[in-house]
Amino acid sequence: MDALIEAGNKADRKRRRSYGPPKDSSVPQSRDSPLDYKGKGKETAKQPVKPAEETDAVVASISRNTTVPRTLSKLGSKTPKTEVKLENNKFTPWAFQHKLHHQARWREEAQEALEDVEILKTEERGVMAAEGLMERTFKMTQDDIVNSIGEEQRRYRKEWKLDGGAYRSRYSKNGRHIAIAGKRGHVASFDWLTGKMHCELELRETCRDITYLNDHSHFAVAQKQHVYIYDQQGIELHRLREHIDITRLEYLPYHWLLVSVGNPGVLRYHDTSIGRVVATHKTKLGACQSMAQNPHNAVIYLGHQNGTVTLWTPNLDEPAVKLLAHLGGVTSLGVDPSTSGRYLATSGMDGKVKVWDCRNWKGCVREWEQRGTGHAEVDWSQKGFLGVASGGTVNVYTPPSIITEHRGSPPLYLTHPIPHRPLISARFCPYTDMLTIGHANGLSSIIVPGAGEPTFDSSEVDPFESKKMRREREVHNLLDKIQPDLIALDPDFVGTVAEPEAQDEFADPLHVASHRLPRWEKLKRAGMPDPGMTSASANEAKKASRQGREDDDMEIGYSASDTSESEYEVDEVDNGGGGEAPVVRRKKKKSALKAYLKKAGGNVVDPTVARIKAKMEMRRKEIQLARIKERQAMVHREPSALDRFRRPPRL
Amino acid sequence: RISVLHHSPSAHLPSRSGDPTPISRNLDPLSHPFAKARERARALNAAKLDRMFAKPFVGSLDGHIDGVYSLAKKPGILNLIASGAGDGGIIVHDLPTRTKLLRFPAAHKGVVSGLCFTEDGRLLSCGVDRLVKLWDAKTTSDGDGLLDDEDSRASREPLATFSGSTAFNAVDHHRSDQLFATGSNVVHIWDENKSSPISTLSFPTSTEGITALKFNWSESSVLATTGTDRTFTLYDIRTAKAERRLVLNFRCNALSWNPTFPTRILLASEDHNLYTFDIRNLSKPTAAYRGHVAAVMSCDWSPTGNEFASGGWDRTLRIWREQERTSRDIYHGKRMQRIFTTAYTNDSRFILTGSDDGNVRIWKAQASERLGVSHGRDVAARQYRNKLREQWKNDVEVGRINRRRYLPKSVYRAAQTKIEMVRARQDREGRLRESGAKEGDVKTEISKVVIQEQD
Repeated sequence: MDALIEAGNKADRKRRRSYGPPKDSSVPQSRDSPLDYKGKGKETAKQPVKPAEETDAVVASISRNTTVPRTLSKLGSKTPKTEVKLENNKFTPWAFQHKLHHQARWREEAQEALEDVEILKTEERGVMAAEGLMERTFKMTQDDIVNSIGEEQRRYRKEWKLDGGAYRSRYSKNGRHIAIAGKRGHVASFDWLTGKMHCELELRETCRDITYLNDHSHFAVAQKQHVYIYDQQGIELHRLREHIDITRLEYLPYHWLLVSVGNPGVLRYHDTSIGRVVATHKTKLGACQSMAQNPHNAVIYLGHQNGTVTLWTPNLDEPAVKLLAHLGGVTSLGVDPSTSGRYLATSGMDGKVKVWDCRNWKGCVREWEQRGTGHAEVDWSQKGFLGVASGGTVNVYTPPSIITEHRGSPPLYLTHPIPHRPLISARFCPYTDMLTIGHANGLSSIIVPGAGEPTFDSSEVDPFESKKMRREREVHNLLDKIQPDLIALDPDFVGTVAEPEAQDEFADPLHVASHRLPRWEKLKRAGMPDPGMTSASANEAKKASRQGREDDDMEIGYSASDTSESEYEVDEVDNGGGGEAPVVRRKKKKSALKAYLKKAGGNVVDPTVARIKAKMEMRRKEIQLARIKERQAMVHREPSALDRFRRPPRL
Repeated sequence: RISVLHHSPSAHLPSRSGDPTPISRNLDPLSHPFAKARERARALNAAKLDRMFAKPFVGSLDGHIDGVYSLAKKPGILNLIASGAGDGGIIVHDLPTRTKLLRFPAAHKGVVSGLCFTEDGRLLSCGVDRLVKLWDAKTTSDGDGLLDDEDSRASREPLATFSGSTAFNAVDHHRSDQLFATGSNVVHIWDENKSSPISTLSFPTSTEGITALKFNWSESSVLATTGTDRTFTLYDIRTAKAERRLVLNFRCNALSWNPTFPTRILLASEDHNLYTFDIRNLSKPTAAYRGHVAAVMSCDWSPTGNEFASGGWDRTLRIWREQERTSRDIYHGKRMQRIFTTAYTNDSRFILTGSDDGNVRIWKAQASERLGVSHGRDVAARQYRNKLREQWKNDVEVGRINRRRYLPKSVYRAAQTKIEMVRARQDREGRLRESGAKEGDVKTEISKVVIQEQD
């Protein structure tokens, strides 16, 4: 046992020794103890490490079943594969380098661990593939699909015959529950998997849209006048009087914001956790009939009657992006969740469906004529399938072809006729291969193999959660609520380093006491290189700054030929590649005389001006000569007691 | 070929009631939108919770009539602390029960200026009455059970008394030998069995009065002292002479050796700052700790050697991390007066302060730590919150909440004034230098601390 402890201690000591900045990874690590860990636990299990001394039976017997605690093995002597190398180590404290080294190592280990996690994905994604050359997937009818799949999956194909007008629907975030609202006021919320009805209401007034709030326990309905919030039992909890004549609703789950837009064309963000409107934006583009949210940055997309699409965030009074998408009004919008909101699909009254790249708004990626006439509804599935419900059919397209630049319609994946016009909503069900279409005769859900994400993360959403889990999740979500101010086009700006504040152009850094300047400014003043620079470029910069100073000197005298306009100029120093900082040279402000000469000059050669110019040129040369003499005199002069009153020489 | 995704309920629901629900994981970032923003929200909440639960004051130990000027903790034991007061009384306290185990009401005439435990549990005290006394500080009569007879506690006589010629300011016992050192105007080394000092240590040109004195913990013959003539001296008692002396710009009131890093020493200076030195290179401090707005009167390292506490004339207790320029936390109390002595408990969870008002106060080292037994999940949650706070400390809001402390108005104003003064001085120096009136290299503040290093 003592031998074991000794071995452990050795390993410990070794570990402690190895805390340093990254060593050369090519040097093989000596393995002197049986307890020395070996990469991941998996590996150790596969090939038991040979004990140091064959004779020590105790060590051999125990070490097979013993591992170094995982927490310790993390701090191993392994060097990261991608070595952290900093330019100019002189300026980087050792402890900081050490920290960077460990961070790099941890990042790599996390990446390795991430690969292992793939094993946990046990669910199989749905698929529909043509087998013969002549077979086409879009020729498969729903009946064909239903006949070729299992009993359980057949339940996804459903027809709900309802007579409340045309229906709009919405799935809860975990895809387990569906809320439907008929035009004439029939509202229901139910668990579609088990068929358990939560509530059914006859509101007897126009209902235009419905959405679940954080989970299925509350939902909001856009009714004739206002927006109402109901609970799971269908009890009216709130009437949101601020929201008038609403046509479309969206709910941003991580910000707890209910977003509404309606016929007045006003976009409102209502914080459902505090019950207050946090932002109101007038779109000034008239009644709005289509809205979508980007699930990855919580930006709201609106489609307007004049064919424009606008992007909104709560903290901007104007649209972040404004885009003329269609020649007619925009009927529907959808944001692709599978590419973190990179693609936007729009459909318009001009009968076109367009797909846009949200990083680059110069023209759409692909556009095609919708099939059939009338309003088209678009929706993306979690795996990036695009469903377009238009005329009397629903058409589904699959990812790579939707976003490849090509003329005409992408190849159809699946199509399904629905005779009950109009089709006013199309929704893919999350975590299921199912698309639900709302139409005049109720709702129909069709099976779209491969549309749903197979693996859900229980910490985010869980279709099978119990009541207690739902409650806990609600509390946790509320604690993690993100402030509406943090909504921006780029959601990753949180936690990044802020841009340095723009410097005041008019503040002269020379008049700021040196200890108040930031470090790089001090170094610059002392002629020392920026720590981020390589030594070569630093030398160049030094040279350049010296040159710049000389140039300044030269420009003090008036040069008649110089008529360049700029006050400041940015001088790119050419030193044969590499990242170099541009040197900003400052020029003297133009004198009144200079201005006069310029004004008087033009193309005419005026003898007076020529005389003045010649005079100035001479004067300039004189000043220069005098300065050179002065400098030479400074070097050779005997020191005198009066030197202390002299101004320091200009160099 | 057609297959359709299907989540079978049997795989996702507990098989029997009472079983945990199976969980599934998908680490794809797409299924975790706003991960960073949500983590920031959690970090912000963690910072707020931490400040909400920050109740550092645990309790106070009373019993002294005058201010408490010395504290001693017993090595190897968590619950005992001895305190010496201005009226000459010494009390040995039991920390968990906050009771007085032993009481020596008139141990000295005048202030008990130094107090320390020996390895075998006896107590050594020195006072301005020019006496050093050795006490039997056994709190149990026969190894178990407290001494319950009030008289037997009170009527204890010192085991030995040593008399010197001048008032003593500090005392420290050798780690292993039966030797101790006292500081008056010189340093005396005493043998416990002899009535007069066995050697006297002094630097040739020195006229100092010793303010603090400590043996090194690992090189037990090395002795460090600070003096009223702004010096810090290192002695070796084997050679009986001073090894090295530093003349600083201000005098130091207290010193403390780092318990885990034997070459590191902490000095509490009269110029409101604390300094750590590496004794291998004494030309300048390894770090300066600025924050107190009056002289620092006492300091003590945490037993972990990563942190230390300091108490000052400004009535605040500050806790510092090593090599960090600003204090981690500031404690103050309405009724707490100037702190003359500070001690970390041996488990590094509590800090004790002795102040002018005659109380020994117990503070938590981590202000928001929860005392008592806590559930494993609670511990995990707290660790997670602490990590979050640390990771997001550079976020503007999180950092602001982490750093904000409410201070007594006087301390706050003094700090503002001090900042203004320092800035004005630096401005002036900068201007002088730029105009050419001041020559020479720019000297950093930290290298101005040591004026001279003498061998």
